[in-house]
Amino acid sequence: MKKSKGDRALTLACDLILILVAVVIILPILNLVAVSVSEQTPVISGKVKFWPMGFQLDAYRYVMGSRQFFSSLSVSLFVTLAGSALAVICSVLVAYPLSKQNLPARKALLLAFLFTMMFNGGIIPSYLLIMRLNLINSVWSLILPQLVNVYNLLIVKNYMEALPESLVEAAKIDGASQMRILRSVVLPMAKPVLATVFMFFVVTYWNSYFDAKMYITERELMPIQQYLQTVIFEAQSPAGDYALGPAESVNAASKSIVNATVVCAMIPMVILYPTLQRFFAKGATAGAVKG
Amino acid sequence: MSKKKGMSWRQMKREGYPELYAMMIPVLVILFIFKYIPMNGIVIAFEDFNIFDGILGSRFVGLENFQKMFSDSDFLRALRNTFAINLYKMCFYIPLPIVLALIMNEVGKRFQSAMQTIVYLPHFLSWVIVGGIFVNLLSVNGGMINEWIKQLGGEPVKFLYDSKYFIHVIAFSAMWKEVGWGSIVYLSAIGSVDPEIYEAARVDGASRLQQMIFITVPNITSTIVLMTLMSLSNILGNSFEQVLIMYNPAVYDVGDIINTYVYRIGVNNMQYGYASAVGLFNGLVGFLFLIAANFLCRKFLHRSIW
Repeated sequence: MKKSKGDRALTLACDLILILVAVVIILPILNLVAVSVSEQTPVISGKVKFWPMGFQLDAYRYVMGSRQFFSSLSVSLFVTLAGSALAVICSVLVAYPLSKQNLPARKALLLAFLFTMMFNGGIIPSYLLIMRLNLINSVWSLILPQLVNVYNLLIVKNYMEALPESLVEAAKIDGASQMRILRSVVLPMAKPVLATVFMFFVVTYWNSYFDAKMYITERELMPIQQYLQTVIFEAQSPAGDYALGPAESVNAASKSIVNATVVCAMIPMVILYPTLQRFFAKGATAGAVKG
Repeated sequence: MSKKKGMSWRQMKREGYPELYAMMIPVLVILFIFKYIPMNGIVIAFEDFNIFDGILGSRFVGLENFQKMFSDSDFLRALRNTFAINLYKMCFYIPLPIVLALIMNEVGKRFQSAMQTIVYLPHFLSWVIVGGIFVNLLSVNGGMINEWIKQLGGEPVKFLYDSKYFIHVIAFSAMWKEVGWGSIVYLSAIGSVDPEIYEAARVDGASRLQQMIFITVPNITSTIVLMTLMSLSNILGNSFEQVLIMYNPAVYDVGDIINTYVYRIGVNNMQYGYASAVGLFNGLVGFLFLIAANFLCRKFLHRSIW
């Protein structure tokens, strides 16, 4: 169809605005990377914009040589992978029974989960609980509190409700146990939603910061986000500039090192991103929460 | 676990229900421990709690903690800041994603998906990383923004350490991170509008702009109202992690919000009873907001939030 002049102008304006938005989003990241690989002098004098000036990888060498970085990385990897796997299992173990419309007390059980979405005891009681369980400075304090995620659970439940009943019925007539039906009939059909929810958990666990801030005080046990926070903000002086500060961010190249650490911590997410985007865009729209 | 009336044990067994219940038990235990036990904060809030005496042994102080709260100027400041920061953020977070979705809807499919890839990216970065990106951008020594300010002849600004600017940094960085992601829900609402309406409008000679204003916008109004109510209902809970990462004592007067205050007096100063009371207040008010928002949704949109 032929476009009128006004329509063409509108499309053009929209194109331009979108490009502007994209630029605003990309430039800060570009600047971060450029600074991390530039020479000291242009960095300090603020000459580096979006393209590196000079080139050095000392900052990266420093990060890679840091034992703390690798111990944080491994804590985060463990928490993310173990946590997400366990969390998906937990979701399935509840979603499958609750997907049975005739299960007695189904409504009440569902409500017990939904209620925790609306009201929680708060920061301090959770902290006291972890203390009483002796989980301070344990990686499990980073995994267990996040295991039950009602939102994800509902996504799995809704998906299972939409699966065809006939296959399940056939298996039941064959005398298969529920666990068996779940494993060999339902789960294979639910693979797409399980992958989606697994990704949701991966992002949550990888990016989570607050639990570690509360429950982890030993440096070797800090996950990557918490370590990163100490690197970024301990290197800051109250004057608002980069001090040649405490912790690991000493040495001359403080700003480059901080940026290199941020870049290194970003890499796993950026690598996962194309996959994530596919799963999330689907989940964000299809997985509407409905009890 | 109660049995449904009129169903015999044998029937239950044939349906496999006992096994299904058994399946849920481990998760119910985890749910109970990590979500329901912390609700004992309702009791702790009325105690002068100390760890050695525990919840049963600590001294009961009645409403003392709550009385203290409303004469505590730091709490009142945090309450004010919480509303100020979140309302200010909402001024952008409600309209901008709608506008972005409308704009995205006007461009070619290929270009649209490329742009989506870019604008969704920051959503997947943690607040710590976003904090790092903005510290780098805004620092006084060699930060790009301050270099531009200097080039234009201005004085460098300590964005993160100056009460005048802190709240704007919070709002802008939150927008930077979430505006793209926020547009998804509107984009999908736009996608579900019946194409025949547009077809009819085109036949009548409506321009794209007219279609946008008179067809698209009215058709996504209920989504807009729903999203607005949802963010209003979460006004006390929002921004916590972001502020906790980016704030510092120099900006407490505008940046300290209820949850960061609870965290400091509880975890750092170990005033568990008082901190629990503030947390409980926060949780209850948030709960009431959510119930109210849901009531409004049911009434006007005939759908519920959950």
